[in-house]
Amino acid sequence: MKLSFFTLSVALRHLRYGVGQSLLTIGVVAISVLLIVYLRTTIGGTQRSIVGNVTGSIPHIVLEPAERTPVGAWRLPAGPGAPLYVGETVNLPRGIDSIDDWRQWLPALEADPEITVVSPVATGNAFLFRGARRESVRATGVLAERHDRIVSVEENLLEGNFLQMVTGDVVIGTRLARDFGIRMRDKLRLIGPGGQALSVTVAGIYETGSGQLDDGQVFLTLRDAQSLLELGSAISSIGVRIRDFYQAEVTARALAVSMPFRARSWIEDNPNVFRTLGAQDQTINMVLISTIVAAGFGIASILIMSVTGKYREIGILKAMGATPVEIQSIFVVEGFLLALLGCAVGIPAGIGMLEMLSNVRAPGPGGRLTPVFNIQIDPWLLAGAAGVAITVGVVAAFFPARRAGGIDPMQVIRGS
Amino acid sequence: MQRTGNGPPVIELAGVSKTYVSAGVETPVLFDVSFRVNCGEFVAIVGGSGSGKTTLLNIMGLLDRPSAGKVHIAGDEVGNLDELGRAGMRRDRLGFIFQFHYLLPEFDVLENALMPCRIKGPAFQAGQERRMRDLLDLVGLGDKLKNRPAQLSGGQQQRVAVVRSLANNPALVLADEPTGNLDTRSGRVVFDLMRTLARESGTTFVMVTHDDDFALEADRVIRIRDGRIEDSARTIQP
Ligand SMILES: Nc1ncnc2c1ncn2[C@@H]1O[C@H](COP(=O)(O)OP(=O)(O)OP(=O)(O)O)[C@@H](O)[C@H]1O
Ligand SMILES: [Mg+2]
Repeated sequence: MKLSFFTLSVALRHLRYGVGQSLLTIGVVAISVLLIVYLRTTIGGTQRSIVGNVTGSIPHIVLEPAERTPVGAWRLPAGPGAPLYVGETVNLPRGIDSIDDWRQWLPALEADPEITVVSPVATGNAFLFRGARRESVRATGVLAERHDRIVSVEENLLEGNFLQMVTGDVVIGTRLARDFGIRMRDKLRLIGPGGQALSVTVAGIYETGSGQLDDGQVFLTLRDAQSLLELGSAISSIGVRIRDFYQAEVTARALAVSMPFRARSWIEDNPNVFRTLGAQDQTINMVLISTIVAAGFGIASILIMSVTGKYREIGILKAMGATPVEIQSIFVVEGFLLALLGCAVGIPAGIGMLEMLSNVRAPGPGGRLTPVFNIQIDPWLLAGAAGVAITVGVVAAFFPARRAGGIDPMQVIRGS
Repeated sequence: MQRTGNGPPVIELAGVSKTYVSAGVETPVLFDVSFRVNCGEFVAIVGGSGSGKTTLLNIMGLLDRPSAGKVHIAGDEVGNLDELGRAGMRRDRLGFIFQFHYLLPEFDVLENALMPCRIKGPAFQAGQERRMRDLLDLVGLGDKLKNRPAQLSGGQQQRVAVVRSLANNPALVLADEPTGNLDTRSGRVVFDLMRTLARESGTTFVMVTHDDDFALEADRVIRIRDGRIEDSARTIQP
C-alpha cells in the first residue's frame, strides 16, 4: 500500500466521477452496517429482556452448601482380594443443609469484580395459616436492601413497602393475597418445618408477573426466617448477581472452585432459554454475515468494472512511471473509502432507527407505559460493525486492485 | 541551445535484438540494432508495418526488455534495473506520446497535462503548473484548461498529450505514431507543435511515423526494414 498525493487524489476522483455507482455501493454498505447495528441491538435487547424476565425472579448464581453425598463402602471400586461387605441400604432423612460461616465469605464475594450484588438468604418450606385455612409457602428471609437488587420487589409493590421490612413483617405476592383474601396489615401465622411458629403482619403486596414469586413466596426478614426455620445464625444459600449474566456459568464454575459451595447458575436451571438464545444468535449472525458478504461483492464488482473500464488509462499511468503498488493502492483506497462512507451513513441511520424504536411505549404490567424495546446502543458494536465493513471493503478491493497493478502498458500501447 | 551532434547521447542502443516467444513459437523482430540519439535531436523512425518500430520504441522507453544487447540512457546501462527502477526511470527521464491520447476522463485538461507531475508528488506538480499552463497556451488550449478531455476534438486531445509528455521535464520523449489517428490537418498541427516544443524546450524526441513529409522534416530519419536498421541518414544539416 502506498498512500500518496497521487494515489489518494486519483482514487477520490474515480469515486467522484462515477458518483452514481459510488453512491449505490455506499448505499449497499450502509444498509448492511445498519442491519448489523439495528439487528444486533434489538436482538440483544430482546435477549436481555428474556433473560431479565427469567433472572428477574432468581439470582444469576445461587451458592448453596456443598452436597456431601456419602458413598457406600461397597460402592468403592473393588479389585481382586478386596474385602466383601455385607449389609443393607438405608435412606437417612436429609436435614436442611445450611451455611454457618457465611459472614466470613461475604467480603470475598463482594470483592469479586464480576459480582454486583451478594444476598444471604434463609429459605425453606413453611405453612401459612389464616384463621383455619392453611397453605404451603416458601418462606424466604432476606436482607431487603440487598435482595431487592437481585429480585425487584420494591418497584413491583402494589401496596406497602419491602425495603423497610422489620421483624414481624411479611411481604407476599398478589396471587397468594387474592387466593387467601389477605389485605395489608392482616395478621398471619407461619409454622416452620420443625414446628416453630411465627406471628407476622402483612407489610406489603407485590406483583412481579412471575408465577413462582407471586404465588408461593413470602418474604420476611433474615432473622425471622432463621428462627422460623431453626437455622440459628446460619443461612441456606447466598444469591449472587453478576455484571454479565451470559457469563453466569463461567463465574459459577470459578466460584465453586474457590469456595466451599455448590454454585448453580441460572443457565444450569434454564438450559432451554440459553439454547434458544444461542440458536437465535446464530441465525442472526448468518443473516448479518450474508449481508456483509453481499456488500463486499458490491464493492468488488464496482471496482472490477472500474478497472476493466480504465484498462488503457491505467496502462498509460504505468508507462508514465506509476508503480504497480501505486496503482493497486488507488483501488484499495477506493474500496476503503466506499466502506468508510457506507459506515458514515449506515451507523447514524442505525442509531436513528434505534432511537425511534426506543421511544415506542406500550402499557406494561400494572398499566404503566413502558418502553417496548430494551435498547442499549453498545459503542463496541458500532466500532465492530465499522471494522467489519471496512475490512470487507479493503479485502473486496484487493483482487481488482491487484489486477489493475498487473496491467502491462505494452499491451495497451499495442491496442490489444 | 543544443541541437545535434555534440554532447553525450541521450539514449544509446548497442546490438539490441528482440525475439518474442509465445506458446513456444519464436518470433524474431529486431536484429542487432545499434544507434545513438544525441541531446536535442528530433529523430523520426520509419518503416513498413510490422517492421518492429513499436517494439524498438518500447525497448527505448523501458516498457519492454531486449533479448540481447544493451540500452544506455544518459550514459547509464538500464539492463540491470528491476521493474521499480525502470518505472522510476520512466517517471523521471522519459515522456510518452501514443497514437491514442489516453487522457484520463476524470481530470480536466490542465490536470491531465500535469499527470506525470502528480505521480512525482505535489511539490513537483506545484513547480510545473506555471510552465504547463504556458505550454497549453502555446498549443492553443489556454482557454480550455478546465475542460474535460471528452469536450475536445481529437487534435486538441492529442495536443494535450503532447504537452503532457513534457510535464516531467524528460530527457527524451518517445512518440509512437502521434499523428496516426488524426486527419491530415490536425496531424500537421500536432507535428508542428511537437517540433516547436522540442526546439523551445531543447527536449530530445524520437517519433515513429508513417508520414514521409513529417519524417523529412526531422533532424534525422532511422529507416527500419524487417527488424534491421536500413539507413539512419541525417535529413537536415545543421
Ligand atoms: N507480443 C508479441 N508476441 C509475438 N510477436 C509480436 C508481439 N508483439 C509484436 N509482435 C510482432 O513483432 C513484429 C513487429 O511488431 P511492431 O508492433 O513492432 O511493428 P510496427 O513496426 O510497430 O508495425 P506498425 O507500423 O503496424 O505499428 C510484428 O510482426 C508483430 O506481429
Ligand atoms: Mg507500431
